[in-house]
Amino acid sequence: MTAASQGLGGFQDNFLTARLDDVVSWARRNSVWPATFGLACCAIEMMASGAAHNDLARFGMEVFRASPRQADLMIVAGRVSQKMAPVLRQIYDQMMEPKWVISMGVCASSGGMFNNYAIVQGVDQIVPVDVYAPGCPPGPQTLMHSIVTLHGLIGEGEIGRRRAASGAGAGVRLETSPS
Amino acid sequence: MGYFEGFRITFKEMFKPRVTTSYPEELRPKPERAHGRHVLNRHEDGMEKCIGCELCAGVCPARCIYVRGADNPTDAPISPGERYGFVYEINYLRCIHCDLCVEACPTEAITESKLFEFSFTNRADAIYTKRELLVGDDGRPQRLPWELWSDDDEANTSAWVRATASSGRADYEGRVGWSAELGYGIRAPEVGQAGEDAVATADDRHGHGDDVGHGHGGGH
Amino acid sequence: MTDIAENGTEAVRGVAVTLNGRVIDAQPGELVINAAERAGVYIPRFCHHPRMQPVGMCRMCIVEIDTGRGPALLPSCMIPVAEGMVVETESPVTRKAQDGVLEFLLVNHPLDCPVCDKGGECPLQDQTVAFGPGESRFVEEKRHHEKPIAISDVVQLDRERCILCDRCTRFAKTVAGDPLISFVNRGNETEVNTFPDHPFASYFSGNTVQICPVGALTATPYRFKARPWDLDQVESTCTSCSVGCRVAVESSSNQLVRYLGVDVDAVNWGWLCDKGRFDFEAVNSENRLARPLARQGDDLVEVSWSDALTKAASALGGAKERHGSSSIAVVGGARLTNEEAYAWSKLARSVLGTDSVDAQMGDGLPSDVVLGLPRATIDETCAAGTVVLLGPDLKEELPILYLRLRDAVVNHGLNVIEISASQTSMTRYAAVSLRYRPGEAAVLVQELFEHAGDVDVQADLGRARALLEANNVVCVLGRPSVAERADSVVQAALRLRSRVPGMRFLSALRRANIHGALDMGLSPGMLPGRVSLEEGREVFTEAWGQLPGSVGLDTAGVLRAAAEGRIQALILVGADPLADFPDRDLARRGVAGAGFVLAVDCFATDSVRQADVVLPAVSYAEKAGTTTNIEGRVSRLHQKVTAPGTTRPDWMIACDLAERLGGDLGFETAEAIWDEIERLAPAHSGLTAQRLASSEGLEGIVAAGPSSILETTMDVTATATLPVDGYSLRLVSTRKLYDNGTLVQQSPSLAPLAPGEVVRANPADLDRLGVASNDRVRVASSRGAVVAPVEADAAVARGTVLLAFNQSGSGAADLIDVSLPVTEVRVETVGIGDREVSG
Repeated sequence: MTAASQGLGGFQDNFLTARLDDVVSWARRNSVWPATFGLACCAIEMMASGAAHNDLARFGMEVFRASPRQADLMIVAGRVSQKMAPVLRQIYDQMMEPKWVISMGVCASSGGMFNNYAIVQGVDQIVPVDVYAPGCPPGPQTLMHSIVTLHGLIGEGEIGRRRAASGAGAGVRLETSPS
Repeated sequence: MGYFEGFRITFKEMFKPRVTTSYPEELRPKPERAHGRHVLNRHEDGMEKCIGCELCAGVCPARCIYVRGADNPTDAPISPGERYGFVYEINYLRCIHCDLCVEACPTEAITESKLFEFSFTNRADAIYTKRELLVGDDGRPQRLPWELWSDDDEANTSAWVRATASSGRADYEGRVGWSAELGYGIRAPEVGQAGEDAVATADDRHGHGDDVGHGHGGGH
Repeated sequence: MTDIAENGTEAVRGVAVTLNGRVIDAQPGELVINAAERAGVYIPRFCHHPRMQPVGMCRMCIVEIDTGRGPALLPSCMIPVAEGMVVETESPVTRKAQDGVLEFLLVNHPLDCPVCDKGGECPLQDQTVAFGPGESRFVEEKRHHEKPIAISDVVQLDRERCILCDRCTRFAKTVAGDPLISFVNRGNETEVNTFPDHPFASYFSGNTVQICPVGALTATPYRFKARPWDLDQVESTCTSCSVGCRVAVESSSNQLVRYLGVDVDAVNWGWLCDKGRFDFEAVNSENRLARPLARQGDDLVEVSWSDALTKAASALGGAKERHGSSSIAVVGGARLTNEEAYAWSKLARSVLGTDSVDAQMGDGLPSDVVLGLPRATIDETCAAGTVVLLGPDLKEELPILYLRLRDAVVNHGLNVIEISASQTSMTRYAAVSLRYRPGEAAVLVQELFEHAGDVDVQADLGRARALLEANNVVCVLGRPSVAERADSVVQAALRLRSRVPGMRFLSALRRANIHGALDMGLSPGMLPGRVSLEEGREVFTEAWGQLPGSVGLDTAGVLRAAAEGRIQALILVGADPLADFPDRDLARRGVAGAGFVLAVDCFATDSVRQADVVLPAVSYAEKAGTTTNIEGRVSRLHQKVTAPGTTRPDWMIACDLAERLGGDLGFETAEAIWDEIERLAPAHSGLTAQRLASSEGLEGIVAAGPSSILETTMDVTATATLPVDGYSLRLVSTRKLYDNGTLVQQSPSLAPLAPGEVVRANPADLDRLGVASNDRVRVASSRGAVVAPVEADAAVARGTVLLAFNQSGSGAADLIDVSLPVTEVRVETVGIGDREVSG
């Protein structure tokens, strides 16, 4: 996983004989542009990740886009209130495929310690989440770990994965029941 | 020369040392008191320290800990005493690493390492069970395949322990200190901490001071 | 004495007491500790319990009391208030004394709070925090005992934690009347323990766990299941029997873990029996029915609700169309809440059009007798001049009623006349105990009033007659034995009533909400609100649309008709006739003979396995509603946990069925059903949901029934002395608290407590028959035979043989023929290996 994140170094095959899938996913994972979606304290850590010490530019993702049309990745950084939920979903809907979601921090992932009526208990109730970053807030390292995890997922190249019947991306398990 | 004036900073910075760490190959040292994922400790004889008392679950502000106790099997006891932690689960998508569980633990069974480089692709994966949390036979935390450990993460992992009065009197000062270490012994007391005494007192309160191993080289 | 003081009924004038410098108004005779508590000053205590006599064991409540002779440290739980008394609960002297007492109590206490079940709700913990010293000076080795020892199957004792407060031992001795635990040894070695080889086998042992102020007594079913801080609690009413004890239902992680008794004056005083306390395990059981089942060939397979309901509705509709409404019968309903019983009553009468509905399983009494006789409450019974017991062994069937009556006898001198076929648990508390030959209760009552009968019982009869002269006579009326028909008991009761003016009755039918079900009309010829079909016809035809033309069949009649092929559709609503109907042969033929069997139940009982469609119902603590106890007291049930699988409440099932049958019960919620009950049922008029939810409804409200509207037509004068067969013994079959029923058998902690099948007979009879105690005997009636070990028991009257109903084994139900007034059996020894099963 670690080598895969470093540009061409991640390539196992000869460039010319590589499968198209690999090329596409290599291209994709090295230019994941995040949409700005800082909601709370996690956003401070997200900003820190972009700064010099951690430098997200190493992953080709230094450009936080204000327009969802230009973004591939939504980092939901912070607790999502019930009022923010439709806004978040709209931004997500406006993003172009392929698109990914990192749920940053426990509040976005599960509501965290805000187990109450005001906070969405997990942003995966609204949008399909690819990677969850634990922590309150997650430091830049945890965020970068989740980005590396996401790179791994993109590298696996299942382009149409989101449409899988298992609902894998959203972590939603579909079960059939007799009634 | 206004044109070059603008590049002055750029050129100056060129000769300064680079501050960027190339994560994930290179990990930055963590602060002394960083809180990370938990570990469940064992006594030196391999018995689990957790007695399933659920105090950690009770104190947890995020309600991320689920514990169930059970009768300790007398023929093959899992922990000293009549009760042991039968189920122990922590949901890392709720845990805020506040360390209150560590403070509440009467047997110093739960402590926190500094590891926080982990992420999940599925909410179910984020629920660590006893199998993941328990330390190995050497007293060191398990390095799970999806976690990015550095040796630094295991060091200096003592918990902050503040002895309280049994009467609960608010004005009781208590003695504060570090709890037992994960594998490395006891941290030196900081300013205002009573140090070794506090740790020893914490053990004696629970009546089995001999059983409580302080990793290597406990403080009593 | 504390009760009287607390109730304040005896208060003539106040007593002025100075409490912490403030003058308070106490009641004469009130204890200082209670007076202080009423005035808002809590004095710490361990041994003091409002429902037991004070003993002053723990010394925790010592406070400075000045009775005019200077301040002294006195135990406030032992000292009644006196005029001019000065009490200091917060003075330095009191504080120091409390500190000292607690330090001493903690000297030997292991302080293993983290592993102790009581930790978090422990009076010792709480009071140490509030009143104790911060630090212990005791550094020596503490006392050590073997950690928990099981003193009964459900109670564990940790002697290290015990502070010798005498609550459990006092309870066992003075409240339960089972003095099986006691202090043993002396001084520092004093401990609570059982007598060697005698476990604490009391039906009330769980109460000691609840009142233990430390974690010394813990309950096996709750042991390490949860901690107090993760328990959720609602107040509800126990439906394990029909006494209607108020309970606090507690759950953790959506699973029931504990019931606690709630102290209400009118019913249970905070006590519970062990069956009621621990049968929550049945609700949690893995064996619960979770999805609808339908028959495919020999098997029941899981189907969707839609399929199951459609199948059931088409079978019911078909039966009604082809064979008429009278070919449909509904049996059972004592498990339901009042609302659900009403919905089923409405479904049966207005949609299915049948009056063959019966919540009783042939082991109760005619509903017109239960509903029609003038009523007494438990309190009124305990305060009566004389109580006549004509019914089952109360300790086995209605344990908390037994506790209340026992208390009335022991502490308040209540006179009890017991009329029974053999000795019961109340015999030792009865002023007069009269024995009747099974099937001839009415004969005994006739002899009582006509000065007839044997010479040796004349003295007893005379005393009984004298006691019946008392002002206020209450009869506790139930079914003493299922091996005799109800007629004789009913006749006896009616004759008593005709000879004792103003006599009132307290029903002793045992099933959970049987009284609610009867009130809601789940009985042939009855309509909701204790009115007969004819009486209520006008009102209910208007409200329900249609009513059956004539009175239907009771359970025995339904089964008989089904056996003859006249029942095309049999609906079992929480009923298991194969296990509960006294005559198993008839039950078997009836269930097999019914064209279509629909079962609505929580567990796959024997009868459910015979069904064609099975609809899973939610169980206790999974639904809200109301229940009615033996007094007619309506109290609320609350939901605490979610039901397993796709189970539905019974009222919803009734509505679903009605809808598919082309009808409409018109209910969207259980509350809507109660509103209709309140509007239509005469006995429940004015019993609004608001009243039940108010503080008045906390202990339930007695539904004042129109008792005079039902006059039974039964012949009071006819007396049937049955011919005596010299070779036979008469069978008496009663229930034990722990039986083979689902509630007990699905509770792992209780299931092993069922005593199993044992034949009991008088030693003289056994001698006559040449049978030794512990032999295996064959007990044969005209119906069948049972092989079981026999025990000589002098408590069994001569000429009778006792066989508990519904125990594991082939059972008394194989012997009983409900068409006979009494079942006569012959007893003979069988050799080993000669074991025979019922015929």
